[in-house]
Amino acid sequence: MIDINPQRTLVRYNVKVEQEMTPEEVAEKLFPVDEAIREVARAVFEGDEDEVVESLQNAIDKGKDPLSLINDALMVGMEIVSTLYDGNMLYLPDVIISAQAMIEGIEFCKERSGQEHEYKGKIVSYVVEGDIHDIGKKIVTVLLKAKGYEVIDLGKDVPVEEVIAAVKRENPIMLTGTALMTTTMSAFKDVNSRLLDSDINVPVVCGGGAVTQDFVSQYDLGLYCEEAADVPKIADAILKGFDVERLRKEFHKH
Amino acid sequence: MDVKRYTKMAYDDFEDMVFGHSLYPVSTGFDLEIGAGYTSAEVNYAPRPSSGESKEKLVAEYEKITTDILQRMVQVGFPSVVLETEHVLQMTTNPEWGAEIAHAQKTIMEEYYDEYGIKCALRNTLADIRGGRESLDLRGDPYDVLMESFEQVASSGADMLSIESLGGKSVFDTAILHNDIPGILFSIGILGTLDVEFIWSEISRIAKKNNVIAAGDTDCSQANTAMFIAGGLLDRKLAHTMAIVARAISAPRSLAAYEAGAVGPGKDCGYENTIIKAITGVPISQEGKASTCAHSDLMGNLVMQCCDLWSNESVEYHGEFGGTSVQCWGETLSYDCSMLNTAIEAGYAKVFRDVLMVSDRYRDPQSFILAFDNAYRIGEAIVKDGNDIYLRSKNAAIEACDIVERGSKGQLELSKFEKASLANATKILHSLTDEKDVFIEEQMDKFKTEMDEFRPENYGY
Repeated sequence: MIDINPQRTLVRYNVKVEQEMTPEEVAEKLFPVDEAIREVARAVFEGDEDEVVESLQNAIDKGKDPLSLINDALMVGMEIVSTLYDGNMLYLPDVIISAQAMIEGIEFCKERSGQEHEYKGKIVSYVVEGDIHDIGKKIVTVLLKAKGYEVIDLGKDVPVEEVIAAVKRENPIMLTGTALMTTTMSAFKDVNSRLLDSDINVPVVCGGGAVTQDFVSQYDLGLYCEEAADVPKIADAILKGFDVERLRKEFHKH
Repeated sequence: MDVKRYTKMAYDDFEDMVFGHSLYPVSTGFDLEIGAGYTSAEVNYAPRPSSGESKEKLVAEYEKITTDILQRMVQVGFPSVVLETEHVLQMTTNPEWGAEIAHAQKTIMEEYYDEYGIKCALRNTLADIRGGRESLDLRGDPYDVLMESFEQVASSGADMLSIESLGGKSVFDTAILHNDIPGILFSIGILGTLDVEFIWSEISRIAKKNNVIAAGDTDCSQANTAMFIAGGLLDRKLAHTMAIVARAISAPRSLAAYEAGAVGPGKDCGYENTIIKAITGVPISQEGKASTCAHSDLMGNLVMQCCDLWSNESVEYHGEFGGTSVQCWGETLSYDCSMLNTAIEAGYAKVFRDVLMVSDRYRDPQSFILAFDNAYRIGEAIVKDGNDIYLRSKNAAIEACDIVERGSKGQLELSKFEKASLANATKILHSLTDEKDVFIEEQMDKFKTEMDEFRPENYGY
């Protein structure tokens, strides 16, 4: 069997551009100064649900308002996770594990305060009819929750009728739909038409295996999204007042 | 269930494995032999979205696809080709649709065979329609429809039967997103294997009855999901050293199809196929650099090393500057096969195999474990405990980790994160019990508690 020096034929860029500091070291510099809040943020970073609840309880015992802890501690911890993910220092499962710990913490805070938390915005999420491949939707859903959005998850194989009903009922700032197969993604066309017929101008963010920017661009409300990590950024842009045309300029990469 | 476990390797030495040759070639279709001394292109395609509106439109679409491919093959002088029709959902849920399309395609293929003598065959990969909206329903009514669909395509023109089965999928999706190594082992090695055994016993019976080929399965829904999420070198969705665990375990899982009567060629997107060829000696189809029409790839040349059919990933049928997409990809694949076949004829097959393999060997941990020598070693770890579906899966995962660990002391560069992830995976794997029943009970309890949609009855529990 032949062998060669691979450094003459390929470059492992992931090794070449690797950061010197570990994610833990970077996170330590970013945690808040206030000790009670710092512990909550650290527990979110570590994705430890029990530790999140325990540190929240400690903070409440020290006089912190349970509802304020959502934005002031839990979201701060999650923001550090997101920053490190965006900076290529953490991997997706780290974000998901942290997000679930944060969501657990939000429920705990809501329970302790007896009040509702105000989310940044509401988003309806689904997988098109005829398609049961939902791992992409699961990822998008967690990333949106991690950024402080409320997600109404309709699940997989969702009929157009049900999507339209949910949009009318929930009045979301946007809709996210995923499809793996070419023959199921035509459901996006029906959703687009039905929303326009009802004078609803909510952006429909489409992604998934067979979906392309050219396909999605055919529909007035359609916005193509290639990377799950871009979906919360799209939601943030919508809150800033971006319409579909401006969103396409910002997020259509091809 | 009549299952023959593999407890020894079909090949005595990995050096004996090469493209275009298998120990047990398959004859099928119109005069085609697979793994009998030459390679052929296997063209994989998907209809345009609008064609799914009716059966008539779909039939017409597949007739155009078939004619386009065969026309291009004879125009450029290629001696053989396989067409792979991956069913869209409607073709399997309505068995008569799939049957009519298989008949229409086969009729065109017969015309080309009669007129030009081109060797050709039709593979049908049915859609696994057992994925319900709320949870998988692997053994209920959708299973009956699926088997009826296999019956109908087998009796209407399909030469080879395949599927990308879904057993274990919902557990896997949860496990992979949580770095849950035991969950990955459970979903692929136990649940996947049990389901593959279950359905392939029946698919093999149907194939035998209709005198067609029970070709094989692929762990597309799990190991390829891990590979896809892992992405390129700079992606941060999943450690590539985690993806190797899923890939290694996918081999004993897909092996179960051959233990239940399949004879190959294994399906193209089964990147685990080199390991399976080493264990079974059956011919395999592979996709690599020509799968870029659907997804990127870190082992585009390497997986060609031992292929018998050389394939692309599903490409949508549409126009390109050089013809339709299926013509362009069919021609590219066939030129690759022409190169492989020339190497065989000239007596340079092993040298050429090595060049293909070494060009990607150190590109990524995923390619490293699938280099034919390492794939063979994973095969040995599997057959060592071939009768125990748990231990052989665990062995495969540990061997893959050990191979990468050893490789990292040589030419295989790993990032700090990959090293940490590898060390973590190795530690967890070594901490697991050696008792199959204990492991299954633990994992069953865990997922019954944590996942509403998990249904043990799907797996006979």
